[in-house]
Amino acid sequence: MTWEQLIGAGVLAAMLRLATPIALAALGGVIAERSGVVNIALEGCMLVGAFFGVVAADRTHSVVVALVVAMAAGVVLAGVHAVAAIHLRSDQIVSGMALNILALGLTSFLDYQFYGSTGTPADLAAVPDVEIAPLAAVPFIGDVIGHQNAIVWLTVVLVVLIQVFLFRTVPGLRLRAVGEHPRAAETVGIAVRRTRYWAVLASGLLAALGGAYLSLSVAHSFTDGMTGGRGFIGLAAMIFGRWTPIGALVASLVFGYGTALSFSLQGASIGDVRVPVQLLSTLPYVLTILAVAGFVGRSRAPAADGIPYETEGH
Amino acid sequence: MPIVSVLFALAVGAIFILASGHDPISAYIDLFRGAFGTPYDITETLIQTIPLILAGLSVAVAFRTGLFNIGAESQLLVGAVAAGAVGARFGFLPGPILFPMVLVAGIGAGAAWAAIAGYLKAARGVNEVITTIMQNYIVVFVIHWLLQNGPMTAPNALGTPASAPIGDGAVLPIIIPNELVPLTRLHAGIFLAILAVVVFWFVLWRTPLGYELRAVGLGPRAAAQAGIDPRSRTVIAMAIAGGFAGLAGMIQVTGVFHRVFDGFSAGYGFDAIAVALLGKNSPIGVVLAALLFGAFARGGSIMQANAGVSAQLVSVIEAIVLFVIAAELIVRIIARRRGPKPLEAIA
Repeated sequence: MTWEQLIGAGVLAAMLRLATPIALAALGGVIAERSGVVNIALEGCMLVGAFFGVVAADRTHSVVVALVVAMAAGVVLAGVHAVAAIHLRSDQIVSGMALNILALGLTSFLDYQFYGSTGTPADLAAVPDVEIAPLAAVPFIGDVIGHQNAIVWLTVVLVVLIQVFLFRTVPGLRLRAVGEHPRAAETVGIAVRRTRYWAVLASGLLAALGGAYLSLSVAHSFTDGMTGGRGFIGLAAMIFGRWTPIGALVASLVFGYGTALSFSLQGASIGDVRVPVQLLSTLPYVLTILAVAGFVGRSRAPAADGIPYETEGH
Repeated sequence: MPIVSVLFALAVGAIFILASGHDPISAYIDLFRGAFGTPYDITETLIQTIPLILAGLSVAVAFRTGLFNIGAESQLLVGAVAAGAVGARFGFLPGPILFPMVLVAGIGAGAAWAAIAGYLKAARGVNEVITTIMQNYIVVFVIHWLLQNGPMTAPNALGTPASAPIGDGAVLPIIIPNELVPLTRLHAGIFLAILAVVVFWFVLWRTPLGYELRAVGLGPRAAAQAGIDPRSRTVIAMAIAGGFAGLAGMIQVTGVFHRVFDGFSAGYGFDAIAVALLGKNSPIGVVLAALLFGAFARGGSIMQANAGVSAQLVSVIEAIVLFVIAAELIVRIIARRRGPKPLEAIA
């Protein structure tokens, strides 16, 4: 085991790449849950984003169209969840699980019908990397951030914007009020349901962007179930980051680093003992359970999280 | 109502088949033939049904106690790993000693693993949905480690990381003679599954514990008023749920695969959520729903081979079934909005 394997530029660059889809899902989770709706369909939103992004990239050869289609797919899936959770007041976990299964089944089904067993086309339009020319030559730093994908940078921007939105603007305050005490929010004239709709749709959009990042920036293809639970890790990052965008980003980086290590330490040993790299991948989940249980800090959900809101007089 | 939701889902599925340029009628006929066309197909369907029944019972017993067990998948895997480890490590022992050991290992490991989620809920107020989702992923990676470069890694010819085979004494016998149904793999695990259904019914409806669990499920506050501690019952309910799922994993090891390998479960623990909801958390309902999804699983692969319609159609149908059930709950909740007990719809 060497320092290079632990904190080399390659590991840190991989950390950023791996953290990005998690952070996008986590951002979606933050917005939805701050408004009081649990959206475990983020995994499914990522998956439809990944798939329909590839389909659009294949048909139109335009990255912009592909990303728009991907995010629209996520918004549609999240919209179904929103109607179920907000309007119909159904169990948000059941609805979310149903949508995850639907997304997995639907994308795998369509993948087979569209592309058979040969896989998606090899010449897909891809989201470009951003070459930061002055930095690229700088040792270490250039290797870490000199040529990251455009969506990596977009994610950083989104984290800051959403942090400011939630905690420094009036609409953000309203959104949080709806998630903490919808009755009080309504009393002062905030449209509880409309706010929640917007929040859930936004969460689907962000998660789908994370999915499109996986298929159009990283893999340049779609494979069945390719999100591999990143939507759920995003939820974990949201919880571990205490339902704030910046916290979620930090958690995503921790989780991304764990995964980056599990790649770079492949086959490494300490003395005679092979490093059990696979166990590093359990880090996000173990940390999340500990955080929610209050063993590592205390992570508290918004007070009205997951509780359907009924207007007075119904 | 459950039949209506299944028919509706099949109808939507037919639209999908049509849209993909195939004939839905012939696809569904292939699906049905694949599941029930020959005695061999029927036994293959039953092999799929067994773990679905047990994982379905796991989710159902949690639902009955007002808990959402999304972790049946990992509880099944933990049970399988424990059974596989004990079955291989003590493989030299004779069946009458080895089999009970493997059985206890599978059930016990699943129960202990699930009880963690119950404990965290009872003692620290952690939502069991979060814990069980996280546990699902933890187990996947721990199994990667165990089988790839951990203590259970064994040389094998499967081409995928796998454990050493279990001893002959732990293997469940094939219950249908080869002359009757050639090549059948149907094993004695089906009797264990039926026994588990009876135990599920008996414990929940014929014992004080079952009464208490259901009382907690219908209303933890009322139950507490009646002197039932919801917290201890939460731990017990999760342990029972994990026991059922662990048994499912143990049966897959001893009845079907005789070892543990990467990608061991075909997502039975997730399908189990649909099984339990479609089966209304009742013993007969779970069996029938498991049979339906078992038939889908078996028939789907045949349909893909014959009709060229992706077997993933089955997941689409399953998701729609789930969604219609959710909608049905909504209708009932709205219908009795002025009445009490909306919780019963879930529990």
